[in-house]
Amino acid sequence: MPNPILVVKDLTKKYGDNIIFHDINMTVNEGDTDVIIGPSGTGKSTLLRCINLLTKANSGQIWLDGEEITAPGYDEDEVRQHVGMVFQNFLLFNHLTALDNVKIGLSKVKKLKDDQAEAKAMQELDRVGLADRAHHYPGQLSGGQQQRVAIARALAMDPRIMLFDEPTSALDPELIGEVLEVMRKLALDGMTMLVVTHEMGFAREVSDRIIFLEKGSIVEEGPPEVLFYTPKFERTREFLWKITELYGKKESDS
Amino acid sequence: MDVGRFIQYIASGTAYTVSVTLIALPLGLFLGLIFSLLYVYGGKVLTRIMSIYSTVMRGIPPIVLLFILYFMVSGNINLSPFWAGSISLGIVSSAYQMEIIRGALLSVSGAQMMAARAIGMSRMRAIKHIIIPQAFRMAICPWSNEAAIVIKDSSLVYALGVPEILRRAQLISASTQQPFLAFIVAGLIYFMLVFVTNRLLDGLDKRMRIPANP
Amino acid sequence: MKFRIVLALAIVLGVLLAGCQQAGEGSVLDKIQAANKVVVGTSADYPPYEYIDETGKMVGFDIELMEEIAKRMDVALDWQDMPFDSLIAAVQEGKIDMSISCFNYSEERDQLVDFSDPYYTSQDAFIVTDGFSGTFTVPEDAANFKVGVQSGTVQDEWLTAELVDAGLMSEANLSRYERVDQAALDLQVGRIDILMSDDVPAQAIVSQYDGLKIIYQGMLYTGPINIVLPDGAADLQAEVNRIIADLEAEGFIDALAVKYFSE
Repeated sequence: MPNPILVVKDLTKKYGDNIIFHDINMTVNEGDTDVIIGPSGTGKSTLLRCINLLTKANSGQIWLDGEEITAPGYDEDEVRQHVGMVFQNFLLFNHLTALDNVKIGLSKVKKLKDDQAEAKAMQELDRVGLADRAHHYPGQLSGGQQQRVAIARALAMDPRIMLFDEPTSALDPELIGEVLEVMRKLALDGMTMLVVTHEMGFAREVSDRIIFLEKGSIVEEGPPEVLFYTPKFERTREFLWKITELYGKKESDS
Repeated sequence: MDVGRFIQYIASGTAYTVSVTLIALPLGLFLGLIFSLLYVYGGKVLTRIMSIYSTVMRGIPPIVLLFILYFMVSGNINLSPFWAGSISLGIVSSAYQMEIIRGALLSVSGAQMMAARAIGMSRMRAIKHIIIPQAFRMAICPWSNEAAIVIKDSSLVYALGVPEILRRAQLISASTQQPFLAFIVAGLIYFMLVFVTNRLLDGLDKRMRIPANP
Repeated sequence: MKFRIVLALAIVLGVLLAGCQQAGEGSVLDKIQAANKVVVGTSADYPPYEYIDETGKMVGFDIELMEEIAKRMDVALDWQDMPFDSLIAAVQEGKIDMSISCFNYSEERDQLVDFSDPYYTSQDAFIVTDGFSGTFTVPEDAANFKVGVQSGTVQDEWLTAELVDAGLMSEANLSRYERVDQAALDLQVGRIDILMSDDVPAQAIVSQYDGLKIIYQGMLYTGPINIVLPDGAADLQAEVNRIIADLEAEGFIDALAVKYFSE
């Protein structure tokens, strides 16, 4: 029996009259890697932010590990400890070294002792292959390295699920590979992941399921081989054809 | 009066100038920090109140505020001119320091807050561990200017009867009829104080700068 | 000039705001005696009445007189130097117990504070440079020249009331200085034509600054100088007046005048 980690029900978000997405329903099972694809401006990033409560949805419910986190009075800060988030622009804390970026959540949120926090942070940095860059500041790291530190920072909190918001979109092509490699490894290790990306190679190869989001609602979802080769809708086929043309080459180069 | 004595007399006011500054500046920093946090993160009502505070305090000449605060502060409590003057000057400075820190807080991108919240930090913790340390670095340079202004404005407490550098220069000028020399001495002392302060803060700024590849 | 206006405005505002919260219980004399200390304000920039000597110590006619008064009150004396403009407000607000700083009586001041009996009578003087060639026979002739005066003094009041407000003199021709020595320097370099001051400091100025002379002496508005006391402090006033009368009778004040004002 698959164990649902994340369940989203009838989630709707609008700014004034402008509907970003509406009535989104999805379930992410433990150990799965689900990929959300879709044209820009269809609310994919906002959806991720609503899931870890950085943005408030207008209606709908979200369950994490069987608990409804959208219930009134639920401790949002507690929720976010269990939901790792990786942003498009890395968003490392600029004044902290790579090690301290990973460590700060452990010592200030999880309240680990300094030596424990440091050991755990080093371990996570090692996991993304950056133990030797521990004492570098974000400004001294390449974009790819910064994103790997950001992944380590999220992993350090031992999240139940990791959300990735276009983690490679801000990277130079030659730096995309190292980040995807880390994500691939995570997926193989059994991390539950929900990834918004345009990297079709990654989606095809790593994901268990692809969700095609367009104009604020889910058009089609299914295993990659179904969506890529026998989609139900013409719109899905068209989008995939376009996106592979645009992004597909890049990844095969790297 | 021989010139050596004369310089010594004016220079002995330096202790007052430095003490007034060392009380007013940290007091202004403390209040300014709290006020700026209320301004930026305090919600609509507090933002409005802080905005009015800032506009009013910065719209009135420091000497006027000094007198108003002096008579208000020591209306009930019997404070010496020195303490009343230092505290009043600190309150005046708080409005300016509040603006400096507010600017620095706003210059830290909102995304840093989001990233901090994303690892489960509360707003307060994010402000303390992520926003303030970064804002602090940005604030050093403009704060250095404010420090210089407070050193110079400390001369205003002479009006309350604190025998600091400027008042001593006036007394020397009156008794020796050599105003030029008296005020040159006072000017040089102020200049040295401001110069040394700026140098120290420049050093701090360089030391605190976050390393980055060129 | 602007600064003076701002300063005056500030004091008025400050006093208005603070006026409602004055602690007024108990007489000032009782307070002085209980503390065994009298706090006296002066603006020590007005030789020979009050100034600092080469050791930085406050000296002068007023200073020595006040020291004797405190001695006879059998209390310690605590001097508080501050700019002349701040003194009246400081007495009003109880920051100081009294002030001796060559104060002349005026009705306006009397509304704010009380005065002791006069302890000395001074005259007004007009100073010009040696090269002065204008016509100056009566004090009102000052209206035709650029005149300097120490701000807030009775001479300032006289010039303002009798010449400027009376329409004889343009406000632009009246320069108010924070201190009289600033005015003396401006007179020397020709920024003003005439300097009006109390006669005693005028004597000191012409002896210390080259090329200056007194062109007119007389009692206009000035005259007796008094100690400024808090409003309504009747027992303190009586005590100070009694001591002043004694000192006059003993010739103490005359001796002081000779010491400081000898021409």
